[in-house]
Amino acid sequence: MAASESTRITLVSNDGAEVHVERNVAERSMLIKNMMEDLGEAAMTQSVPIPNVNESVLKKVIEWCEHHKNDPPAAADDDSDSRKKTTDIEEWDQKFMQVDQEMLFEIILASNYLDIKPLLDVGCKTVANMIKGKSPEEIRKTFNITNDFTPEEEEQIRRENEWAEDR
Amino acid sequence: MTALAEEARREPASAWPGLPDEVLQHILFYVSPSDLLSNVQCTSKRFCRLASEPLLWRHHCQVRFTYWDSKHRIRQKFTGNVGDVDWKTLYMHRKRVEAETATILDSIIEGQVDRIQKFKMIADFGYDAKDTLLNHCRVSETAEDVLARRYYANAVLDHVHRSKALAEWKKLLRGEPVPLERALGSFDLFVLHDQHGDLLEISEIFDDLASTLRAEHPYLGQLSTRKKALTVVRYLRHRNLTGLSTELAYRDLQNTFIGIALQDQEHPSLPLISVAIFCVLAQRIGIDARCCGIPNHVHAMVFSPNDETLDGLPVLPGSAQSDPMYLDPYRSEEEVPIQSLRRMLSEWGLQPSQHAEYLGDSSTPNVILRTSRNILATVHDFRAHHGNAENTGHPTIRLHANPFADLDNAFYAALWANYIFGNPFRRSEGTTQSQFIPLILERFERLYPMDASLIEQHIVPSYNNPTNAQHWELREALRVVRAADQTPKQLRLRNTRAAQEGVKYKVGQVFRHRRYAYTAVITGWDIECGMDSDWISINHVDSLARGRHQSFYHALVEDTSIRYVAEENIEIIEPEIPVSLMSLAGRFFKRWDRENRMFVSNIRDEYPED
Repeated sequence: MAASESTRITLVSNDGAEVHVERNVAERSMLIKNMMEDLGEAAMTQSVPIPNVNESVLKKVIEWCEHHKNDPPAAADDDSDSRKKTTDIEEWDQKFMQVDQEMLFEIILASNYLDIKPLLDVGCKTVANMIKGKSPEEIRKTFNITNDFTPEEEEQIRRENEWAEDR
Repeated sequence: MTALAEEARREPASAWPGLPDEVLQHILFYVSPSDLLSNVQCTSKRFCRLASEPLLWRHHCQVRFTYWDSKHRIRQKFTGNVGDVDWKTLYMHRKRVEAETATILDSIIEGQVDRIQKFKMIADFGYDAKDTLLNHCRVSETAEDVLARRYYANAVLDHVHRSKALAEWKKLLRGEPVPLERALGSFDLFVLHDQHGDLLEISEIFDDLASTLRAEHPYLGQLSTRKKALTVVRYLRHRNLTGLSTELAYRDLQNTFIGIALQDQEHPSLPLISVAIFCVLAQRIGIDARCCGIPNHVHAMVFSPNDETLDGLPVLPGSAQSDPMYLDPYRSEEEVPIQSLRRMLSEWGLQPSQHAEYLGDSSTPNVILRTSRNILATVHDFRAHHGNAENTGHPTIRLHANPFADLDNAFYAALWANYIFGNPFRRSEGTTQSQFIPLILERFERLYPMDASLIEQHIVPSYNNPTNAQHWELREALRVVRAADQTPKQLRLRNTRAAQEGVKYKVGQVFRHRRYAYTAVITGWDIECGMDSDWISINHVDSLARGRHQSFYHALVEDTSIRYVAEENIEIIEPEIPVSLMSLAGRFFKRWDRENRMFVSNIRDEYPED
């Protein structure tokens, strides 16, 4: 596999930029990995279009893949319901995620589209940590959510969950 | 990509609501349940919908709770269709139980009044309360009321466990199928406290043993029944899962509990428990194995399937069924020939015509009764030998807690088993059910007042006839215990000269008895001996140096008893930690005060100045 590790391939973002990247780095994306398998030898010579991701996001995502290229592959059936989910994020990833909200949003969408589960997890945890302890109004403000409840509906939901307030 | 997401990409300013449902869903899995309920779902209709997804709440139900009351049939729910269950409501139910349990427990710890009713309120939640109780049993050492909290959380949990055990035995009594490991595991419930080894956990241990056995013997299914049975017994013996290391330990109390036998490093077990372990495992791999009630030493017996012999040969039509095989997993991995069993019976003077009766299989109620007799024998031995200089160090009591409390609990379990499965009618030999009632009542009054509800549920209905003496005895015992529980404690103040000068010691001080040398802690006092003249003369109070007109103290002793001690017999000691009292003291005390070397009172409603 030594040979293929250093093989470089070319990705093309939706705004037409060419990004060169080691094949095994790009293959952190299950979407790209599957495409490479489908394309076979042709993938080495052709560039691979990534129609849903722009250049700056694609570069950011690849920066993450680069750093994590030697991570052990996740177990096949790891996202079982039976384990408690922690929102702990390792230090490098925390720094990596210190971006403006628009970029965070784009990274999450891109990792979802490219099927990079660990990156999607980090993005989702980052958002979950932003939600932690915030009131409904603060959450709406942070995430630009429009309150479409009538006052009566809102009151009813609040009442149903009064006991759930942290004790 | 969804249409919504596409739209979002064109309008980055309103990006967040534009995330597709699947991604938001993914995010919400990382949000805590309390944030979901009080905040996230209140933001908008869409988030309300996403934060109510059954999959999300099934996840939280699964990872946040371990024990569930059987009424939920939770295993079926977890393996079934996720949409068939209102998981969010179920989660909220559990959180409500958790909050109420904690509140009631706080109030049990806070005051000495009305505790029976409060115990019952928690017990009514059944196993839904167990997770919360366990958390309180393991409250941090630094908690202000650590001893009281641990003690009462354990006491409530013990009561919940006993309710479960009795329900299990009642099921068996009604003729419903109860697996052997649950019937015997119910004894464990009486002594379990916050340890691992509940009924489901015992069953899981057997499941694991069965799957390891199958993995080690992939061709097990092709063997004849006889060879399968021998494989099982060898497997158990190689793991030291049956038998005892020494016959000296025969009467050790831990040998009579199947959960302890399975989990203890040395796996001690009496013949009966060894046989039960064999039978349960053998049944897991499809063998018809049962307990055989030979007197003195229970054996296991294995029956052939209907259409073939134990050696796998077809049974010819019209021919008699072949004899079962016998095993003694307690001490051997070989088959026991029936001839040697017959010889043994003959040596005991039994006629061959009587052999069949003893060589047959034993019902589960009989196995339970035998286990209870084993426990009673240990209790008897322990009381007879304890303190005897020649003693061998056995029997030992090595269950889960203070050995004396364990002994009380095990004994209580045996009494209940005898009551439930005992013979309701008097016969010339043997015991009858009703003989156990006064014994149960005595312990109920002294140690388990919270079991009033269990006595009302399991004993009272059988004695509903007012012409029956037992009827009045029961009613009176319940009335007295309940009245004592409901009456606020009388205030004991040190505002008289007699109290100020005559009562030297305080609630919470630890002492050694000058004559009997036991260690105890003061839990109350009287200005002078408050007992009646009978007690005074039986206990030779007047021959004390200071007689009956000196202060007397109530004291909790390390053997769980409460005694009444004259001041002159008290020698205050100030140990760093009175280890033997630590698990018992929570009944009256909040914590141990290392600085002043005494317990901090939790009975200020009675002794406000101590």
